[in-house]
Amino acid sequence: MTSYLLRRLPSLAVVLAVSSVLVFGLLRLVPGDPATTLAGSDATPDTIAAIRHQLGLDQPVLSQYAHWLTGLVTFDLGRSYIIGGGIGPLIGGALGNTLLLTASALLLAVLTALVLGPLWASARRPWLDHLLTGVNTLAIAVPTFVLGVALALLFGVVVPVLPAGGVPRGGLLADPGITAQYLLMPAVCLGLPVGAVLTRYLAESLRSELAQPYVVTALAAGVPRRRVLLRHALRNVLPTSLTVLGLQTGALLGGAVLVEFTFSWPGLGMLIERAITGRDYPVVQVLLMLSVTVFVVLQLLTDAAHALLDPRIRLGGAR
Amino acid sequence: MTDIALRAGRTPRVRRGALTRGRGLAGLVLVGAVIAAGVLAPLLAPYAPQQQIPGANLLGPSGRHLFGTDEVNRDVFSRVLYGLRIDLGICLVAVPCGALVGGLAGLLASRTAVADVVAQRVFDVLLAFPPIILGIAIAAVTGVGALPVICVVVGAEVPLFGRLVRTSVLKVRELPYVDAAETMGASWPWVLRKHVVPNILDALIVQLAISASGAVFIDSAMNFIGIGVRPPTPSLGGVLAAAMGQLGTNTLYAVGPLLFIVVLVLGFQLIAQALLASRRGDA
Amino acid sequence: MGALLRIANLNVRFPGATAVENVDLELRRDEVLAVVGESGSGKSVTALAVMGLLPRSAAVSGSVVLDGREILGLPEDELRRVRGARIALVFQEPSTALNPVERVGWQIGEVLRAHGVASRRERAARTAGLLEQVGIPPERARDHPHRFSGGQKQRIVLALALAADPDVLIADEPTTALDVTVQAEILGLLRDLRRDRRLAVLLITHNMGVVADLADRVAVMRDGRVLETQDVEGLFSSPRTEYAERLLAAVPRLEAHDRPTRLTKTDEPVFAAENIVVDHPGRPAALDRITLSVAPGEVLGLVGESGSGKTTLGRVAVGRLRAASGTVRLFGRDPAGLGRAELRALRRRIGVVHQDPAASLDPRRTVLDSVTEPLDVHGVGTRAERVARAHALLDQVALRPEHGDRLPRELSGGQRQRVALARALALEPDLLLADEPTSALDVSVQAAVLDLFTELQDRHGFACVFISHDLAVVNRVADRVAVLRDGRLVELGPARDVLTRPSALYTRTLVDSVPVPDPVAQRSRRGPDLEVPA
Repeated sequence: MTSYLLRRLPSLAVVLAVSSVLVFGLLRLVPGDPATTLAGSDATPDTIAAIRHQLGLDQPVLSQYAHWLTGLVTFDLGRSYIIGGGIGPLIGGALGNTLLLTASALLLAVLTALVLGPLWASARRPWLDHLLTGVNTLAIAVPTFVLGVALALLFGVVVPVLPAGGVPRGGLLADPGITAQYLLMPAVCLGLPVGAVLTRYLAESLRSELAQPYVVTALAAGVPRRRVLLRHALRNVLPTSLTVLGLQTGALLGGAVLVEFTFSWPGLGMLIERAITGRDYPVVQVLLMLSVTVFVVLQLLTDAAHALLDPRIRLGGAR
Repeated sequence: MTDIALRAGRTPRVRRGALTRGRGLAGLVLVGAVIAAGVLAPLLAPYAPQQQIPGANLLGPSGRHLFGTDEVNRDVFSRVLYGLRIDLGICLVAVPCGALVGGLAGLLASRTAVADVVAQRVFDVLLAFPPIILGIAIAAVTGVGALPVICVVVGAEVPLFGRLVRTSVLKVRELPYVDAAETMGASWPWVLRKHVVPNILDALIVQLAISASGAVFIDSAMNFIGIGVRPPTPSLGGVLAAAMGQLGTNTLYAVGPLLFIVVLVLGFQLIAQALLASRRGDA
Repeated sequence: MGALLRIANLNVRFPGATAVENVDLELRRDEVLAVVGESGSGKSVTALAVMGLLPRSAAVSGSVVLDGREILGLPEDELRRVRGARIALVFQEPSTALNPVERVGWQIGEVLRAHGVASRRERAARTAGLLEQVGIPPERARDHPHRFSGGQKQRIVLALALAADPDVLIADEPTTALDVTVQAEILGLLRDLRRDRRLAVLLITHNMGVVADLADRVAVMRDGRVLETQDVEGLFSSPRTEYAERLLAAVPRLEAHDRPTRLTKTDEPVFAAENIVVDHPGRPAALDRITLSVAPGEVLGLVGESGSGKTTLGRVAVGRLRAASGTVRLFGRDPAGLGRAELRALRRRIGVVHQDPAASLDPRRTVLDSVTEPLDVHGVGTRAERVARAHALLDQVALRPEHGDRLPRELSGGQRQRVALARALALEPDLLLADEPTSALDVSVQAAVLDLFTELQDRHGFACVFISHDLAVVNRVADRVAVLRDGRLVELGPARDVLTRPSALYTRTLVDSVPVPDPVAQRSRRGPDLEVPA
């Protein structure tokens, strides 16, 4: 199994390395000199030169890259041009909010899939199958932000039972009940497409699993249908489902940007949006690298979980 | 078991009927209607998209203004129709481009080991950036506009089509009939033209429908968060974003663009699902 | 003797097709009733109907009485208690019949658990006993299925099926996917289990040798109906129906027969290999120092069990695979040293027929397109000439011109293999590679295709490398036979010597493992010590 994971490492390392070059190069490609932007229109050449020196922009490109990379690895993330302050604390604050949001969304998605997936796979009545297919298609098809707007419209304005956006005044940790109210709509919004994709995958793979000979073997030997579905078959589709979940979790990062924007949720998505409109490139760079790193780590975790759950990989030597 | 297995062993192929009934037909009608609305916008729209109508500030829906008016007195219905044209245009350019580039990359990857490794790593890197985040990165360089949107859609499609073509080609090449042709002297271009392309076309068509729905999503999302088409040029996402600021005063302002986006995405999804189902032979 | 399991007037309909029609079968205590038939005869559907395991789309009617109790249409929960405890089912594919991610001991334990053995300790003890009974070391209960060979897996499946001590075992093609020596072992195990546990066995098979080996009585099925039922000796000596007679006649046998030899020793061989080695990275050599040759006009049979390297050798013989060492001569030249144009010219002299009729033709091209393809590739003649040639070829393989416009899925398996044969012969090749060309076909279809093959070979005089796992099939077509085992050449010689008077010990085991489709002869071969007490 270790060798299986080790074989995956080089490609992931390549992804990280190439991405870091791309993300770093981004700042170089941006039209205009950041120092000029920063200094404002009426700055003297001396001021600009000073800023350039301060930002390290007068160094050779390669050493700038090395410096930047070292900073990333040692969590010395530098300072923000525009928003102000250290990038570390800036991200730290937003990261917590985003984690809370994505974790809740993921939890909702996984729970939905685990309940509805097997139900759908074993649906004997055509109307139930049609209903689930319809709802599922809609849930996959409706874009996150569209759903967000619709939800905000419905429960924030038309039937105002939930806050249409933002976070509680006292902060997220003050009152879990109120936090849950603010969290509910964004989390549902973010989790729904993921849950829908996962449910569909689970239902389809369970269904094809139920056509496998080993299922007939177990049924023919008298093992109850329910147990064959929920224990034998589910256990078999778990490794690949985890891979799907891993990919979907990666996609959550993109979704989070939209959901946070829609519900004014002060997380990384809002931060990156602010940074981009404010042309605060160091922040953008760090956030991009963060996103890629999360993706790569997720891939690695998914592979590890997959390998752990599949004895043919874990123990090797498949014939 | 053998008997059942043999009977079920049909070859997967899209049957022509897939789009003339059920889900496929519904999808086709939805997409067709939206495209027609976009194409006919100059005939259907009562006002010019930028035209400011005196006295019509944030009006609710009425006979004169189907979707009401916005904060600077423009007719939302007209803006949505014209926005649709731009969104459709972007998808029409970007999806085929992405499919073509990705398909060629996948084909190349299936030929030599070196090309395969390079292509796979490129796909990995592209997939490592979620589309919206990739959009943000690209918009940082190019500035906002239609170009970053097109780049993102292409960037998102390339690895999808690349991997699809690569695995399909490798799978087709393993098949006995291709082996037989090659053993009897058929060249690679021959095999590609006569066996590979016709046999992976179905999968590509399904992927195109899925990609079209994804492209509408990416495009409107980028316009929504303001890194796409530059206002005052209308776009569905852009109109929706503007409506978000007016939820309190003109609630129904958001419904129009919302409807068009959902119908378009849903339509493409339905088409894709119908094609997939008919490939599996259960529709 | 009363019937333990009585199937009466059983009908199974799928939407648009009737799979089983008015089937009556009676399984007595302590007997093996074989149900034989070709694909589509409804034998497997009958088995699943008895178990109540058909898909929901199937409409089932009639009666299935087990030990005096009607079990057809029982509620799922009651039926579940019957399954495993009264009737068990084992079927063809041992590689997929076990859950790949669970330990085999756990899987047997699940059956015990389902039938009320609550204590984990007792489950483990009984699992160990069951494994021992089927010849698997009990400590291997902790291993996952992928650690076992095909034969071992089938033993485990048997242990699982018998865990809750059923009275009736339905075995659906239990040895079809296995190599012939392994098949002999499993048949022996089935015989022992049946004796020790006093099992009644409903044996579903298409293999007349297996029937002769194991069955007491035989029911012959075709198109969803039972044509006749009688004692095994009676069926083999005097079949009552014309279909059963034809079926028996179609079975290839391992008897010495004289073919006029077509060897012209003086000619240069079309294919010659000397000491060739083919490696698989990280595994034992796929081919290990093989030396053999194929003379013009000769049919060389290549036999061996799975993993013996016969397909690999076939691919080397047509220049599709390069040997790591040793010399290869194809039409007197080394294919590795040829340029593109020369290789193409060489390929023109080669034809191939593959095993799987479902995949041997491009599903999107018409039969005519497939047959003209080699001609198109090499630009032979005008389009009209190519079409005329294709029609002539279709005629040679006994297909009508209108078959040319059909798609492969509109043809039967046998017809597809005929098309594949026509395509392979389009360029008048000097060497044909036939890799298990009839393995996926029914016995009667196989017989027709083999007859056709012999006829075409006589007419065209091409040399052929004929790969098969079935010794009797090879016996029917080959001039010489090469026996492979684990990548090595075990024996090479004239067909009648190798297959009827083998000199190598392995070849003898192989030949002895093939059950003879004659119950009397098979019983005497097996020896009296294995006789089931009456």
